[in-house]
Amino acid sequence: MSNAAIPPAVTQLIETLSELPGIGPKTASRLAFYLLRGKSELALRLADALHKLVENTRFCSICYNITEQDPCPICADPARDHGLICVVEEPLALLSLERTEQYHGVYHVLHGSLSPLEGIFAEDLRVKELEARLRAGDVHEVLLATNPTSEGDYTAAYLITRLKPFAARLTRLGRGLPVGGDLEYADAATLTRALEARQEL
Amino acid sequence: MYIRNLSLRHFRTYARLEIDFPAAPILLLGANAQGKTSLLEAIAYLALGRSPLTNTDQQLIHWSAATSGMPFAQVQAEVQKQQHTEVLEIVLQRSQLSNGNTRLDKRIRVNQKAVRRAALAGHLNVVVFMPGDVALVGGPPSARRRNLDNLLSQVHPEYITALSEYQRTISRRNALLRHLGERRGDMAQLDPLEEQLAQTGVMISLYRRRALAVLSSHADIFHQEMTGGAAWLRLAYRPNFDSLKPPALDYQLGLLPEVAQSPVDVDALRQAYREMFLRRRQEELRRGVTLTGPHRDEIRFLSEEVDLGTYGSRGEQRTAILALRLAELRWLQQQTGEAPVLLLDEVLAELDRERRKYLLGLVNQVEQTILATTDVEMFPEAFRRKTRQFEVAGGIITPVK
Repeated sequence: MSNAAIPPAVTQLIETLSELPGIGPKTASRLAFYLLRGKSELALRLADALHKLVENTRFCSICYNITEQDPCPICADPARDHGLICVVEEPLALLSLERTEQYHGVYHVLHGSLSPLEGIFAEDLRVKELEARLRAGDVHEVLLATNPTSEGDYTAAYLITRLKPFAARLTRLGRGLPVGGDLEYADAATLTRALEARQEL
Repeated sequence: MYIRNLSLRHFRTYARLEIDFPAAPILLLGANAQGKTSLLEAIAYLALGRSPLTNTDQQLIHWSAATSGMPFAQVQAEVQKQQHTEVLEIVLQRSQLSNGNTRLDKRIRVNQKAVRRAALAGHLNVVVFMPGDVALVGGPPSARRRNLDNLLSQVHPEYITALSEYQRTISRRNALLRHLGERRGDMAQLDPLEEQLAQTGVMISLYRRRALAVLSSHADIFHQEMTGGAAWLRLAYRPNFDSLKPPALDYQLGLLPEVAQSPVDVDALRQAYREMFLRRRQEELRRGVTLTGPHRDEIRFLSEEVDLGTYGSRGEQRTAILALRLAELRWLQQQTGEAPVLLLDEVLAELDRERRKYLLGLVNQVEQTILATTDVEMFPEAFRRKTRQFEVAGGIITPVK
């Protein structure tokens, strides 16, 4: 995008935007020109928000969730069960679990899942940090809540081998049929899982 | 079963095709490069979920559709079974992504319902015989594995699922091996992948063993008939990894299909598989590839103790491949209770008079055979009278009066 007709400031914005996931050069140009032409205060608000994001947020030194204070409000909450750790791939998964208001333990965010083909290995995830938490103290249960994808399953299986030596109980989120779904439309893989995880009544 | 109706849009040389076929031997007549092979390929595509001729679905889209604003291809067939009719459809749609890359979507439907590729198994069965097939006997082992995979995939959806899972895990494990070999890291990352490979690998190997045992005994019968009892034929399964040794078993399996059906200690096999990974780990780390498993299986054609792949004459290899195709037909028939559709592309030219007669005699045993040829004179008059003939020219098909 080295066009003399476009000022370098704009080209730089376009190039930066297209580094974002899901945004190619075309979308990046469209966004850049929208910001350029649109109400100037939008660009400034965006710049301000980005600035704050970088300045004010960091990873919680215990659970590695994104936070403005360290430790994060969840890790600092005495009402929570600190002996129960739920392991998730991304902060967004943590948010979803929080929305249920049914979980009262603490979390550990891995920041990804094992994916050798994309060059993501155990040392790129917060696995050592999780082990350190187990070694440090009174953890009675680790709940593995990785995504039900093949990467998520692989990550969970790997964590099981790593965490087995510790005394904590290892559990996994239940899987199967979605609430409000229709048996008729469930795919074979989901149904197989649901059959395997059937419950005694 | 037979194909009642075939409809193509932007598939290979066909801009648009809509044609009804009878339950009879069908002769497709036409010069080269007019679309005869593409038509057979389209039918095989619906049976296998992939083309027998290419790994690149992209190539299947008609060139003009590829450059116009409608980059898609559609293949649809109505299949008449003994009791009912089924409609199979595959649509390939190419779209331009905003980041400049293109993306190819493949949608498979069975009776209007969107399904995964594995669910295509069992709806349409074909035996495809093409001119290049003789190279299977002496060519690379991957071609023989692929041929067997295509056959098993037509009947067993669980085989398709296991195979794709296996292949995905192999590429993952290879990437991990390279990483660990170069930069070190936690070896325990290999464990879940090896467990997965032990599960799917043992299953793939068992399916192959059982199918080959049956195929081998069928092929032997056809081979003896074609050679006037002069030569037996055996399809020998040489699994890359096998704890069912001694090797004598391999020989017995070919002769006694019931041996192949006997129960196998799957847990012991998996255990042996895991141990093999441990034994070869250093070598695999050094080379960055997985050296053990069914992705390295070998299948050999043996006749009278001679390996036809290495020592067979061209004529012997042709007879062997013909025997294999006929064995596949019989196997599919036994597995599904219906005769598959036979797709023969220009194969008579390669066979002598006796074998031609033998092959054409089998056409009576199925409901529908589709034969493509440049030279109608190759077929005996009596045979031609039984067929319905179509002229194929420039991607257009017209019935011959």
